[in-house]
Formats: sequence, structure tokens, C-alpha cells
Amino acid sequence: MNNIAVKSDMQSTDATSIVIDEVFPHGAEVLWKAITNGDLMGRWMMKPTGFEPVVGNRFTFQTTPAGAWDGFIRCEVLEVLPLERFAFAWRGGDEGNVGYGSKLDTVVTFTLRRVQTGTRLRMEHSGFVLPKNDTAYTNMGKGWVKCVQTLSTVAAEQN
Amino acid sequence: MTNVMSMNAEPIDISAVMRALADPTRRAVFERVAGGKEITVAELTKGSGVTQGAISQHLKSLKQAGLVIERPEGRNVYYRAQPEGLTPLADWMNHYSAFWRDNFDRLRAVLREIDP
Repeated sequence: MNNIAVKSDMQSTDATSIVIDEVFPHGAEVLWKAITNGDLMGRWMMKPTGFEPVVGNRFTFQTTPAGAWDGFIRCEVLEVLPLERFAFAWRGGDEGNVGYGSKLDTVVTFTLRRVQTGTRLRMEHSGFVLPKNDTAYTNMGKGWVKCVQTLSTVAAEQN
Repeated sequence: MTNVMSMNAEPIDISAVMRALADPTRRAVFERVAGGKEITVAELTKGSGVTQGAISQHLKSLKQAGLVIERPEGRNVYYRAQPEGLTPLADWMNHYSAFWRDNFDRLRAVLREIDP
């Protein structure tokens, strides 16, 4: 069971999330370690600097700079609920940039749940602000819907 | 190594699209253009509560953002929506979708290694 989707939060804000939800054939403990240990994070995500799994901890990921943006993704641990939930703020970019390096003030949330075959990991990267409101996008929507469908059908390969 | 959105490079003019649709009136204009097949400035102005000049300005911005295209015919100019204009938004999100999808693949491999 796995999928990746882009979903919109139409009611409250003009924000969009990326969601990946997959079952891993491992215990919650090992999965928790993989997502909250700096060295292990570096092996599958990006190498964090100054990371500790403690609420309020500030750490960075370093990536390619763009324009006025130095390429640092500035993060802050928001929630640490062992074996259940881990969330951090993901901020970066600059207002002067378009596309790559554009300003981001987002949140990454990992949620773990034990299932028969292992552990289900759900990642939601939320807070991508797109210019839309309900009526504009519901009514004219075809182009947009097509875009979103394209993204939604990108299935994460299991194994 | 892993580098978020490192496949960037292409000048995706997402902010032009965002700017164009940030204005509620302009968004409403876009919505009306997209709602039908083709429409003229005069038709758009009718019942809109704003002047024809204002509508023209909005159309100009939408055109620059690649969201509408125009077709002159005689004295009239017909406008229609160009849904492809919205793809920069999708592309932008696509960077992150791909990033996380790759991450999950790598995570799976790491887990297999540390917990065989």
C-alpha cells in the first residue's frame, strides 16, 4: 500500500501538501530511528547540521543556492512523539526567486503507525502556497485538475 | 548527494503565474475566460463592475503569465484560457514530489541494511 499525492486544503488556506504513505516491513522502533537520527537521515534524505530530535532544536540542510537565497533550508523541530510523530518546519528560499529557490515556509510531518506487515509511514510536506481560491479553481479547473492528476498518479515504487 | 530540487535549472516562471492569479479581480477575469470558449473584452466588461480599461489590463497580465491567449478578428479580440499556463505550478510541486519519492526509496534501502 503506497501512494504519493498532492492534496489541496481548499477550505481554510490556499495551501497544498505532498503526501507519501507507505508500509515498510520493519518495526516502528527501527523506522523511528531512521527518521530521527541525524546520520541515518543523511543517508536517505539530506545530511542535517545541528540536528537533535528535541522540540525547539534548529538545524539546517544545505543545498544549491539560488539568487539571494544561500541554499540553506532552515528547520526547527516542532514535535517529537516517540514512535508516533515527528514534525519540523522547513523554511528557505527567497521572495526574489522563481521556481527553484522560491520562498518556502512549510512543515514536514512524519506519522508512524504499526500495522500487521510492519510500520506505516506517512510523510506530509505541507504549506506550499499556491494562488488559488475555491471558485477560481473549481470552475476553470480543468487545466489545474489535469496538473494535479498528473502529480497524484505518480506512484511511489514499492521495493 | 541528495539535493533537494537539484534538477532545477529551468526558469519556471511560477511567480508570474502566482502574481497574475493573486489579484481577486484578475482571478475572476481568468475564471470567466476559462468558463467559456472565447470571450471579448466588451463581453467581459459587461456586468463586471469595472471599466473596460481595467479588464484590458488584467487580460494583459494574464497573457504575460501565459494563462490566456488572444485571437484578433476584425475589430474584436477574442480571449481564451490556456490551461497549460498553470503547469509551472505543477512542475514546482513536482520537484518536491520527486524528492520525497526518491527519499522513500532510499529509506527503504537503508532500513533493509540496518534491519535485515
